[in-house]
Amino acid sequence: MADPTPIEALVLGLVQVLLVLLVAPLLLGITKRVKSRLQYRRGPSLFQPYRDLAKWWRKEAVESDAASPLTALAPPMVLAAVVVATLLVPLVARRAPLAGWGDLLVVVGLMALGRFVLALSALDAGSAFGGMGSSREVAIAALVEPALLLALTGAALAAGSTDLGAIATAGAAAGTAWFTPALLLGAGAFAIVAVAESGHEPIDNPDTHLELTMIHEGMILEASGPRLAMLTYAAELKLVLVVALFAAAFLPTGMAADLSPASLLVAVVAALAKLVAAAVILGLLDATLAKLRILALPALLATASIVALIGLATRLWLPA
Amino acid sequence: MPGVSSPAALVGALAMIAIAVLLGLATVAALAPRSRANPRGLPPALSALACAGMVVLGALVLLTGEVVSARAGSVLGLAPVDLRIDRLSAFFLVVLGVAGAASSTYAIGYRAHGSSDRDRTEAAFPLFLASLALVFGAHDAFAFLLAWEVMALTSAALVVGSRPSPSVARAGYFYLAMTHLATAALVVAFAILASSSGTTDFASFGPAAASLPPVGRDVVFVLLLVAFGTKAGAIPLHVWLPRAHPVAPSHVSALMSGVMIKAGIYGIVRFGLEILGPGPEWWGLLVLVIGVASAVLGVLYALMEHDLKRLLAFHSIENIGIILIGVGVAILAAGHGAVALAVVALTAALFHTLNHALFKSVLFLSAGSVQAAAGTRDLNLLGGLARVMPVTALAFTIGAAAISGLPPLNGFASEWLTFQGLLGAGAATALSPVTRSAALLAVGGLGLTAALAVACFVKATGVGFLALPRSPGAAAARETSRWMGASMVALAAACIGVGLAAGPIAAGIATIAGGVVGTAPVGAAVAVTIVGPGMGGAVYGPAGIGAVLLAVAAASWFVGIRRRPARRAPTWTCGLVPEPAFEYTATSYAKLIRLYFGQVLRPVREVTVELHPGTPFPRTVRYHGEARHLIDERVYQPLHRAAVGAAQVTRRLQNGSLQVYLAYTVTAVVILLVLAR
Repeated sequence: MADPTPIEALVLGLVQVLLVLLVAPLLLGITKRVKSRLQYRRGPSLFQPYRDLAKWWRKEAVESDAASPLTALAPPMVLAAVVVATLLVPLVARRAPLAGWGDLLVVVGLMALGRFVLALSALDAGSAFGGMGSSREVAIAALVEPALLLALTGAALAAGSTDLGAIATAGAAAGTAWFTPALLLGAGAFAIVAVAESGHEPIDNPDTHLELTMIHEGMILEASGPRLAMLTYAAELKLVLVVALFAAAFLPTGMAADLSPASLLVAVVAALAKLVAAAVILGLLDATLAKLRILALPALLATASIVALIGLATRLWLPA
Repeated sequence: MPGVSSPAALVGALAMIAIAVLLGLATVAALAPRSRANPRGLPPALSALACAGMVVLGALVLLTGEVVSARAGSVLGLAPVDLRIDRLSAFFLVVLGVAGAASSTYAIGYRAHGSSDRDRTEAAFPLFLASLALVFGAHDAFAFLLAWEVMALTSAALVVGSRPSPSVARAGYFYLAMTHLATAALVVAFAILASSSGTTDFASFGPAAASLPPVGRDVVFVLLLVAFGTKAGAIPLHVWLPRAHPVAPSHVSALMSGVMIKAGIYGIVRFGLEILGPGPEWWGLLVLVIGVASAVLGVLYALMEHDLKRLLAFHSIENIGIILIGVGVAILAAGHGAVALAVVALTAALFHTLNHALFKSVLFLSAGSVQAAAGTRDLNLLGGLARVMPVTALAFTIGAAAISGLPPLNGFASEWLTFQGLLGAGAATALSPVTRSAALLAVGGLGLTAALAVACFVKATGVGFLALPRSPGAAAARETSRWMGASMVALAAACIGVGLAAGPIAAGIATIAGGVVGTAPVGAAVAVTIVGPGMGGAVYGPAGIGAVLLAVAAASWFVGIRRRPARRAPTWTCGLVPEPAFEYTATSYAKLIRLYFGQVLRPVREVTVELHPGTPFPRTVRYHGEARHLIDERVYQPLHRAAVGAAQVTRRLQNGSLQVYLAYTVTAVVILLVLAR
């Protein structure tokens, strides 16, 4: 495969940027629609998340009189961290829009940056709910991050690089030979932590406002107006990020290697199909699973780490 | 001074003389009475200048690649003191110079808790700086041990101060005892090497080590690891560190955590890796395991702390662990001749050494400002400082983000390289499957460490600086002296600058690492991106990432925040008046992690409820919780009891009667004569 010319790379990058930025709220709409249908409700319009964002954007922001300047600075920083992370992951094309500036470790690092700023700003108003959400978020992240890294390590070892473009290219080139036991176990582990990262059942309930069960909602409880819009949009975009990361490492089928109209069309459809499938699955989970007790989460998330480790062990110890 | 051969050598010699004179003057000024000609700020100002001289000297060697050496006659008529500043020494000298200059500048405006103008222990500070510089520059076992001891004694004096409370004196005693165990191990290791080579010159130690039998090399390696691991604060030899670092004045804590424990890293790299050379696989594996254990346990114990400086001390253990992971992989790779991988891993370790010196200094210095301003370092009594101490809060937050390994700051760059080293070891088919599995397990361990560090620093920053103050002291806190603010801001800016310029800096460090491993670096870095050859050319371009982050954040801030000012209103607390009691404390913030990792932390929880007499209504509820330190309880306390018991037994030998002592002497002579016959 020849490297795309700079112009081609630019076009492919722009296609992905637009697709990712525009489709993110729709995924939440799909998840909610699936959930309500399974609950015998009609549910809101698929485009309700866009309307919510527009509504919040027009509203006045109110902040706590205990807050420091961090409360105003945090939403742009959280949004920037998620946007940049998303631009580092190949989804439509095998080259990510910001390819060459960072690998999967940088993506994980940027996710941590967003979490750091958000969890910190949640403490700024001095509300108990903020502290509750924030302390839960960082504790769960401590269980998620090792599993995430170990799951991706399997793909990185198979490709011989931590660069996501290189991983996607190696995966696409290998065809079905890509799906070794090591990789499939890594994909399973990733699927578990993806649910945690995107904040869905059985780990977090995106619809709750009951204080005892909030994690992400607890952290953004004090946000309002454009700030709430930014933080919610960042959360919606994070789902795209997690799905794109999964697709790049474990399911690089259909990604465009060049700029011919046919391959571009295939690539956009494939990317959309992956995103919509993830949204539907999350809706199914939300509707059918109860939230796990917060003290039962280590069992689930440690399982993810162990599954990923077993995958790595098969790679090291089984004859190839 | 020997014959000066080149301009670089001349400048180097002048710098050495200037450093020695400035530190000497600083010591004299600290001992002399205060006067108009000798104000309180003079000794630290002289120390800061001397540290600038160290940076010049180190930079000179690093930029020209020329080794600067000197021989300072025979000190005390014992042996000549040989100094030799090569690239590795120069690197540590620069780390010392930068952290030392910042700490000394800070000390100009800083009055340590309970210190008076007549406190003469401050005179130990310039001596401490000098001994650290000598440790990094010594090229002879005698000079090294001399500097090593002075370093231990001066730092102990600084920890204890002139009028210590019983708990501080105990911490200082503990520190001295542990550091002397380390020195004992070091003396034995050097004695083995010196008896094999016939001299105490480090240049002869390499061939001497090569001529030792494998068992001898193993013994020397383990002794060195014990000695330098104790100084570095690696688990399980860390127990002195969380006791000594918090009680020292904050500029001393910064220097101990930022630089002194790195003397242990310097020792392992210089002697374990460079002089002992390639060893069996278990050497590297052992260092790697110690590194992972230190990183994970260090951060877990840090999370359990609500004393800000004790929390930071445990993070020093964590970061030493991260550095040791890099060193361990470097030893593993060098043992198998995988030079490129060894260079990456050692670059990661040295880079993290520099980064930790920067962010840990800024954190300790701002903790010192907090303590000076609010009168406490208990996080559960702080809060709300961001509005009254904005400079300190900003510096602490940047340091917290850097130590948490967040891009695009400096901590992430070196952790990124450490990950590349681990993945490279996991992919290296030359290593045994056990070692490769350990390296991949360490990937999970390092990920866990990074995520827990985020949790801990959200806790420290959020509880300490945000929301409402929890005590009158925190409410009355004000920003302290400008000298202190300036040094913190400079260090925080360095955390950002080094993070953005990580590519060229890593390239420079790779040259040093290449010299240690014994080769020129193999494509380890290019101008703007760090490239990890361990894993087929993955890249990280911190400047580009930083620029895009800034652009997106600034754009959304401009349209969504700046043009839409917020109305301020009280926090909603379900109808009650907001008060600090609603806020999460450091203890409650870490509760979930305390429960998740209960198997390791063994939390103890005592709740005492006192009822109003004759009613079921509580009058007072007292809560006490702490994590138990298993290594302290299961290893050190039994050892301590055994040592005291043994001392009680041997004490009977010493009954004060001269006749009995003479009898001992006669018996000893007779036994020696019989043996020597």
